[in-house]
Amino acid sequence: MKAITDTMASRDAQNQEPLTSKRWLQDLADGERRRLTLATIAGLGVGLCTIVQMLLLAIIIDRLLTGAPEAPVGVFFAALIGVLGVRALAQWAQETTAQAASLAIRARARAALLDQLTALGPVQLSSRHSAGLGSQLVEQVEALDGYFARFLPQLRLATALPLVIFAIVLGLDWLAAAFLLLAAPLIPLFMALVGMGAQRLNQAQFAAVTRLSGHFLDRVRGITTLQLFGRTATAAAEVFSAADDYRARSMKTLRIAFLSSAVLEFFASVAIAVIAIYVGFGLLGYITYGPSSSLTLFSGLTILLLAPEFFQPLRSLSQHYHDRAAALGAAEALVGILNETPPAAAKATFEGRTNGGAPVVRLTDVCVEHAGRGQVLGPVSLEVSRGEVIALTGPSGAGKSTLLQLIAGFVAPSDGSVEVMSDRRPAWMDQRPLVIQGTIADNLHLADTQASDVAMRAALEQAGLAGLLSRLPEGLDTSVGERGAGLSGGQTQRLALARVFLSDASLVLLDEPTASLDEASEAEVAASLVRLVEEGRTLVIATHHPALIAMAHRVVHIVAGQRVEETTV
Amino acid sequence: MSTLISELRPWLKLLARRRSRMALGALLLALTVGAAIGLLALSGWFITATALTGALLAAGVTASLDVYAPGAGIRFFAVLRTVARYLERIYNHDSVLRLLAELRSGMFAVLARLDARALGQRRASEWLNRLTADIDTLDSLYLRLLAPPLVALIAIALVSVLLGIFLLPAGLAVGGVLLALWAWLVVGQASLGMAASTRRVATLDQLRGRILETLQGLAELKSYNTLNHHRACIDADQAALYADQWHLGRIASLGNALVGLGVSLAAVLALWLAAEAYRAEALSGPLMVMMPLAVLAMGEALGALPASFTALGATRAAARRLNALGRSRSVLSESETPGVPVAGAPALRLQNVTLTYPGALTPALDGLDLSLEPGQRLALLGASGAGKSSVAALLVRLLDPDQGEVERDGVALHTLALDQLRTRTAYLTQHSELFDDSIAANLRLADPEASEVALWHALDVVELADWARELSQGLETRVGEGGRQLSGGQARRLVLARVLLLDAPLVILDEPFSGLDRPMAARIAKRLDIWLCGRTVLYLVHQLRHDGSDPPGINRSLTLRDGRLG
Repeated sequence: MKAITDTMASRDAQNQEPLTSKRWLQDLADGERRRLTLATIAGLGVGLCTIVQMLLLAIIIDRLLTGAPEAPVGVFFAALIGVLGVRALAQWAQETTAQAASLAIRARARAALLDQLTALGPVQLSSRHSAGLGSQLVEQVEALDGYFARFLPQLRLATALPLVIFAIVLGLDWLAAAFLLLAAPLIPLFMALVGMGAQRLNQAQFAAVTRLSGHFLDRVRGITTLQLFGRTATAAAEVFSAADDYRARSMKTLRIAFLSSAVLEFFASVAIAVIAIYVGFGLLGYITYGPSSSLTLFSGLTILLLAPEFFQPLRSLSQHYHDRAAALGAAEALVGILNETPPAAAKATFEGRTNGGAPVVRLTDVCVEHAGRGQVLGPVSLEVSRGEVIALTGPSGAGKSTLLQLIAGFVAPSDGSVEVMSDRRPAWMDQRPLVIQGTIADNLHLADTQASDVAMRAALEQAGLAGLLSRLPEGLDTSVGERGAGLSGGQTQRLALARVFLSDASLVLLDEPTASLDEASEAEVAASLVRLVEEGRTLVIATHHPALIAMAHRVVHIVAGQRVEETTV
Repeated sequence: MSTLISELRPWLKLLARRRSRMALGALLLALTVGAAIGLLALSGWFITATALTGALLAAGVTASLDVYAPGAGIRFFAVLRTVARYLERIYNHDSVLRLLAELRSGMFAVLARLDARALGQRRASEWLNRLTADIDTLDSLYLRLLAPPLVALIAIALVSVLLGIFLLPAGLAVGGVLLALWAWLVVGQASLGMAASTRRVATLDQLRGRILETLQGLAELKSYNTLNHHRACIDADQAALYADQWHLGRIASLGNALVGLGVSLAAVLALWLAAEAYRAEALSGPLMVMMPLAVLAMGEALGALPASFTALGATRAAARRLNALGRSRSVLSESETPGVPVAGAPALRLQNVTLTYPGALTPALDGLDLSLEPGQRLALLGASGAGKSSVAALLVRLLDPDQGEVERDGVALHTLALDQLRTRTAYLTQHSELFDDSIAANLRLADPEASEVALWHALDVVELADWARELSQGLETRVGEGGRQLSGGQARRLVLARVLLLDAPLVILDEPFSGLDRPMAARIAKRLDIWLCGRTVLYLVHQLRHDGSDPPGINRSLTLRDGRLG
């Protein structure tokens, strides 16, 4: 007997402290340390090239104006053009490397989140809004882009490059360097100011946008009602005034938020102006104090040209500050998913086929606990024989679905044992079957990636869809659109049944398969289920519907997590 | 190119309506760039002039230089740059937000004219997200795609003229180089990035859809052991998205590197030409230095172009989607000279009506013939999906049929004024749609002039009056988002009360008593029976139970199956 043990991928949550958003961003950055470092080095290269460019410009001008009348400058022009070429290459390298790092990081983050969500399993996911999860895994992961592609490399440059420039200016004229130094302690202050501004801006904007979207969403959701009461014109006017009110309010925040970066710009501009005037007066000999008497056109021009570059990295950083805020906001939400504890690895044992009379499923005194809800099932014992059809009935919330999830291996028992004697996992179908965007064939391939056209047609026929298939000119290649648009509820359910027919799972678990169907469709599904039984498969069905209960060999009634009675038909 | 412009035309027209505002914003932007050019150029001129004068003074030659005017000029430009930048940001953000308000209400007006085919296609929230994202993309049309290239052109002209005044060849050469650079940044970047950036939203949607499928179908994927196969599909979708992003990222980086290179080369060229002129004594030293410095400041004017124009396709795609929405056949037409429905209980007639929803494999209504006499109460029976709601939607023109004719009192429905038709038809839909507002506001949707007494009377009919009197805020109590503060039964009765307030001669009720217990349904039915007298009534119900909880006074019933009368 071969035993396949199914272990769900799970993060060993016990040994880890809950992840914080900053920690996670750091971890992600560490994973791409090489590329991010390369990007920073290339960025340094850009900065150094710019410095050399300014020096060469100053040298050329100096030689032209104060050197010998025909002093050769051609070689410096050539060098200058060379440096410009190198700088362009370095800038290209910086941006593309950082971009590559960001792409790799986002792919990794998304994979980790998907791993975690699949580890959490269908039962734990059911409590979440799947559309919300979808947007988290797409939009919020994409929101990490700016932080890694722009902010992080720039953060390192913003500390390194001003230092280099300061050192050069200090060598040329210490008083000019002192002006820069005077501005330098203000830099952390600027950063804090800019950061606070950006954060406040982000929070305020976010709250306002949420309110505005809420208002808009409410009107769009109810648009049919507004149409029916002839009120759409009034509603459009309301939408306008809500948006205009949002404008008035967010402008108040923006006026203050923009002020912080304006202060940074102001100091940078004034520092440049002061240095220009100082150098000018020094060259004229108006200033007799300090090193100004030794100022030359070369040193003066170099200082003037480098002064804006001293502030440039910081200005760039402040432009990328909202990237950081956006990434932190996204990380906050995503870390919440990563910190959830997946259910203890469900170790259902799927064993090889057994001899005739032995049971297919044997539950012995099993209990199931859900976090926060206590014991939801058990102790329950149940044996299911090969070829048997069991209907699980009982009020909603009694534990019918939990029992099915237990047999499927989606939840682990807190006590007792679950044995499933089958060489395959049981087939599963519930009231909202999966319909993927693609063709009918794509949807059937979910059950068996290798299924042939003949097998698929046969499965559709057995599921009662032969009539529909014959009416479709494109047959199996008919596209069924987003979320089964184009298929009725009954057809969707029968498409899922066709998957069951296609799979060779001997045990089939059905959770309220006809809950959302009308009587006619229900009868058709029931007829298909009968064909499944005729194939010799074993069915466990949680249901309220009389037509399905009628076809069961045994009806197991469950109330409040306990078996209360059993009817053998 | 011409299709691009025609796609953007409606939105450019919208901007044109605020021409003076846009012009002032661009002027502030140009002032910022101009101040940056002025600051660097004047500083370079000043330092050189002082150095040369200083050298003369040191050599004992009498020389003088007015230091105060240039000094003041430098300070002026420094302050101007900051102030202009601050004002520009405030002013332009205000413009964008004003535009946003207009775009949103305009878009809502378009939505309001769509039929149920389009509105029912996607879930409201998804649709909204897409729409708002598209609107947000378009509201930056001015700030990213119109003002910056325009301002860059102004700055190029400014620098070229400044140089040209003193040295014509330098002005022409720099102008030429910068114009070529500008053209590349606008046209070249846009065309290189067009395909990939146009695809962006669609590729993102594809990935989102695939992830949603996986999460919703996790149980099945796990049980069939095909999760890994499906994960490979997600990876493929993500790879397609990231291949595009990588392409766009490289194009944008190329543009950024070209801005740095092009501007610097133009500066070197200016210096070279100026040096020639200086040596030929056609130009003074300070002016020679001023020229390359003025050109270097152009980096600021051109810096924003590569990223914006590489992503031009995203704006184009958003415009395309919104244009398509406005032009789609789902927009309900209204005749130029619409008729007004007659006031009394109407006769209705559907003649050979066929209706197919987009993407549906089979028609929802298939050659349906149906008629109602004035004052008749017809129960239309059938399973969900049989076509009952489609019939109702046709009668209030939430939909127009693909084929066939719908008439009210012998007049084709599409010749009647849409709002009049709808306010003279009370239609209780299957879903109890309520707005996040007060009970009174939700009721007054049917009749904004309704008196307090009328509201209480309507609540009395549906047995909500006693409950409402108990509430501390009475009729001003808010019902929460989608009416979530109410129970399902209360919400149902509240929307029924709202329908009663409309006081229309034609009444369509879809499962009016769903979610209500039988005794209450019977009591409400009795009062409803009186109110319905003298009106034409269409009930949509699953099946009749004949136990007193059926809608009152049915004098005819028909069963629909697969879009036909069975």
